[in-house]
Amino acid sequence: MSRVLECADCGGRTFYEKRRCADCGAETFRDRDPGVGTLQAVTAVHVTPDDVSEPNRLGLASFDGDASVIAQCNGTLEAGDVVAIAEGASRDGEDSTMTLVPAAVNDRR
Amino acid sequence: MIPQEFAAGDTDASPVGFGLPGVGMTAFEAADDRSLLALLETAAERALRDAAVDATEIDSVHVGNMAAEAFNDRSGLANALTASLGAGRASARRIENTSASGASAFHDAVDAVRSGGSAVALAVGSEKMSAADTATATEIISRITHEREYQQGVTLPSFAGLAADRYLAEYDADRRDLARVAVKNHANAANNSYAQFRTPITVDDVLESSAVATPLRLYDCCPTSDGAAAIVVTADAAPVTVEACESAVGVHAIADRRDPLHIESAHAAGRAAYEMARIDPEDVDVACIHDAFTILEWLELEELGFAERGTAWTLTRDGRTAIDGDLAVNPGGGLKARGHPLGATGIAQLVELVWQLRGDVPDGRSTGSPEYGLAINVAGFGNNSVCTVVGANA
Ligand SMILES: [Zn+2]
Repeated sequence: MSRVLECADCGGRTFYEKRRCADCGAETFRDRDPGVGTLQAVTAVHVTPDDVSEPNRLGLASFDGDASVIAQCNGTLEAGDVVAIAEGASRDGEDSTMTLVPAAVNDRR
Repeated sequence: MIPQEFAAGDTDASPVGFGLPGVGMTAFEAADDRSLLALLETAAERALRDAAVDATEIDSVHVGNMAAEAFNDRSGLANALTASLGAGRASARRIENTSASGASAFHDAVDAVRSGGSAVALAVGSEKMSAADTATATEIISRITHEREYQQGVTLPSFAGLAADRYLAEYDADRRDLARVAVKNHANAANNSYAQFRTPITVDDVLESSAVATPLRLYDCCPTSDGAAAIVVTADAAPVTVEACESAVGVHAIADRRDPLHIESAHAAGRAAYEMARIDPEDVDVACIHDAFTILEWLELEELGFAERGTAWTLTRDGRTAIDGDLAVNPGGGLKARGHPLGATGIAQLVELVWQLRGDVPDGRSTGSPEYGLAINVAGFGNNSVCTVVGANA
């Protein structure tokens, strides 16, 4: 899930499924390409549940439309870097999920 | 300096004014060999004895607990406790609000008295986390996150690591300033015989401890704990009264926040509590802040109007939140050093405030003669916050 959800009514965006838009209450969302974002903060987590690799490197990135996401990220990324979202494997290897990658690498694909 | 929006305005709300005649708790420990029910019973009996209330006088019992099913293969706590205490007239229920289960149980007890349904209500909170190893406990707690967060392996310390990274980059505070929060709270706990950690630590101890979620290290994080705390609420006044108990919800997924350094539920609960109690932040003499991570103490102080955005760290640096400062914060050691048995914490904060306002603390932990105390108990990383104001009646 490397898409961002956009409210069909007000255009507000979120990465997190919910029944109603937090801004206007509308119930319909469209999938959009989030484009590139900016990494706001990073952390390397060293105490993780058994099925999560350690360290778990996470980034908080903000994208167009006031949408932000916390996702696993490449260890060389730093706050301020421009990032994009690539498909990644989830912790249980079943659903596809997202990984933050340097924007330039993504653009070259 | 008080942010303008917190200035007292016209409001229809009036202070609650119910009595808090008795409190009690168990000493918080990494592992207590007593059962979860025994911890609840012990704290409850201590509070009843302190209040000089007999169990048969209790109208309602409100048990705060997050995850007895997961930690202890246990449920039905409120009924087991009520029967054991001999509170045969009481109604009983359990309240779950993750790490704010304790304050929510208290909130429910206050509401029971406010409704007229209860003249005497007993709120008891407990958690026995030692049954799980750290990885399992981390997993149990991480289950409160949004499914999308959970898939990324996000845990509670992950949110704190990201917030700390952002705060230290955005403002002039440095890593040593953040360590001073832990140093202060450990120093306070050294004078609290109910605290899990009673050994003072230094800034270097914090910086040299193992990394948990960078830039946060082990001594920036609260431990897992076993323990229980209890408080009696009565319609009749007492030397210490509850002036306000208000709660608010926030976003579920933390990245949905407009600003990663805002905890909107803490702001809203605090604002409502000030209005209800008819006080301003500057009226508060002592505060119990939900410092599950050092960074949270700063973020919550800012949300509660004790400091402007990006400046709470100067209160720590300047000693203003120390035990002898103008706003003593976490005089009992906080979650950081008293310990954090999830469902017990919100009530343990109130136990500490009642002791402080009655003057029932040893010299090294005294905050003078406080008139108002404030507690904030936070669920998750701010999914929900409960803010309580207590007052001393001259
Ligand atoms: Zn909308």
